[in-house]
Amino acid sequence: MRQFFPVEDLARDERFVQTNMAERMKDGRTAIDVKESSAKSRGASKRLTPERHDASDAARGLMHGIMVGEIQALEGAGRTAHDFAAGDGTNDTVPFELKLDMARQAWDEARHVEISAKLSDWMGTELGEFAENTVLFEAACSNDPILRLAGVNRALEGLAIDVFTQMKEFGDVAGDPYLEFCEDWMLADEVTHVKMGSDWLRKVTANDPERRTKALEFQQVVDKLFSFGGARGESAESSFSLAKRFRELAGFTDDEVQTISQMDAEALEERKEAVRKYRERVGADV
Amino acid sequence: MSDLTTRAASPTSTAKVTVIPEEFTFVRYDAAEIASIVAELAEQLEIANPIRVVVDETTPLAKVYEEIDAASSDATITLHAESGALEDRKHPMSFSATGARESLGRVLLRAHDRMRSDFADAPGDLDLTLAENAAWDTYCSGRLARMGVETNQQRWRYNHRNRFGFDDGIDVAFDALWNADDLAWSDIVTTAGG
Repeated sequence: MRQFFPVEDLARDERFVQTNMAERMKDGRTAIDVKESSAKSRGASKRLTPERHDASDAARGLMHGIMVGEIQALEGAGRTAHDFAAGDGTNDTVPFELKLDMARQAWDEARHVEISAKLSDWMGTELGEFAENTVLFEAACSNDPILRLAGVNRALEGLAIDVFTQMKEFGDVAGDPYLEFCEDWMLADEVTHVKMGSDWLRKVTANDPERRTKALEFQQVVDKLFSFGGARGESAESSFSLAKRFRELAGFTDDEVQTISQMDAEALEERKEAVRKYRERVGADV
Repeated sequence: MSDLTTRAASPTSTAKVTVIPEEFTFVRYDAAEIASIVAELAEQLEIANPIRVVVDETTPLAKVYEEIDAASSDATITLHAESGALEDRKHPMSFSATGARESLGRVLLRAHDRMRSDFADAPGDLDLTLAENAAWDTYCSGRLARMGVETNQQRWRYNHRNRFGFDDGIDVAFDALWNADDLAWSDIVTTAGG
C-alpha cells in the first residue's frame, strides 16, 4: 500500500470542491471592521452565538467545516498509523503503541464524520455545500511522524477543542439538544487525541531536544494558520475563542496557551492589514 | 457609484431593475445577470415597481433586507444584499444564480407583502426582532418553494427552531407558516410561535 499521500490525491466524490489557505486569503472581503477609527463594527460581535442575525447559517457553515475537518483528521491519523514502521521512535520509526493510538484515533474520527454528517443534515446542509479547505490534511503531510503529532494532534485537534466548545455552547443556548449532546461527546474524544499528541511528543523526543524544538516550532506555524486570520481569538471580532480549560486538560501548559492566544491576536491584525492594503490597491473605501 | 439598469421584457411586468455597483471588484458577479434574475422574479410576482438592488461586495456575510418608499405600485423597492447572499458556497467569490434567486426572492416577497394594508404595522426590516425576522423568512421561503425557486426546507426549519424552540409544537407552527398564503402581518407573528 502506498505511503505518504499528497493532499492533491485525497479521494472525494463529485459533491466536494476543494480549496486551500492561499485561495481563501485572496478573498479581499471581510466581516471584520478594518477601520481603526470606527467604534462599531458591521454586526457588532462576530462570536458564533444564537444572538447573531445569521446564527443558523453561520452554524451550518461551521458544522460543514467540522465535517470535512473530521474526514481529513481521519485521513491524517490513518496515514500516520500506516506510513511509519514500528520501532523505538528513531530513524523514521514510531513505537507500536503510538500506531495503536493513531488507529484508535482514526476509529474515533470515522465516528465523528458520521455524527457531523448527520448533524449537517439536521441543520439543513447538503454534503459538499461549502468548499472544503484542505489545510488540515496539509498539516499531516510531514515526513517526520513527530511533526505530524505536533501539527495534527496538538494544532488541528486543539482547534477542534476550541470549535467544539463553541458549538456545544451554541447548541446549549439555542436549546438544540442534538447539537449540544453530540458536540460534548466529540469534545471528550478530541481532548484525548490532543493528550495523546502531547504525551507521545514528549516521550519520543525525550532524548532529542532539537527534534522536540523543531516539532514545537512547526506546531506554532500550523497553529497560526489555524487561527484563520483571526477567526479564533479572544476578541469579539473572532467567531470562536480558545478553550483554555480543555486545552489544559489535554496537556497544554499555560505558556503554550498564552502563545497561541497571542498568535491568534497577531493573525487578526495581519489579516486586517492585508485587507486594508488590498482595499487601497483596488481603490475601495478603506 | 455606477449602476446598471435593465427592464423586464415580460408583458405582465414593467419592473425597471437597477443594480449597484455596475461592476464588481471583490467578487466575480455580473450586474446584468443579477438584474435579469430580479426582473424574472418581479414578473412572477407581478411587481411593476422600480427596483434597486444594492450589493455590498466588501463583506462575505449574507444579510438581505428590503426597503420600500411607500405602499404603492410606483414606489421604489430597494433590495440590499451582502455579497455572501449571492455567492456559490462551493466556489467562494463566485456568483450563484440559485442562491441569488432564493435570497433576493425572499426579500422581494417581503416588499410585495408590504404593499398590503394589513402589513402597515410591520416594522422595517432592520427593526424586526430575530424571531419576527425568522417567522417572515419561513413564510416567504415556503411561497418561494411553491413558485419553483430551489429552497432547502430543512435549512429554514432549523432557522425557525433556533428562534422559537426545538419541539414538536414549533414544527407544526413552522409547517403552517411554510404552507400558508395570503397572511396578514399579525397572522405571521401569532402563527410562528405555535
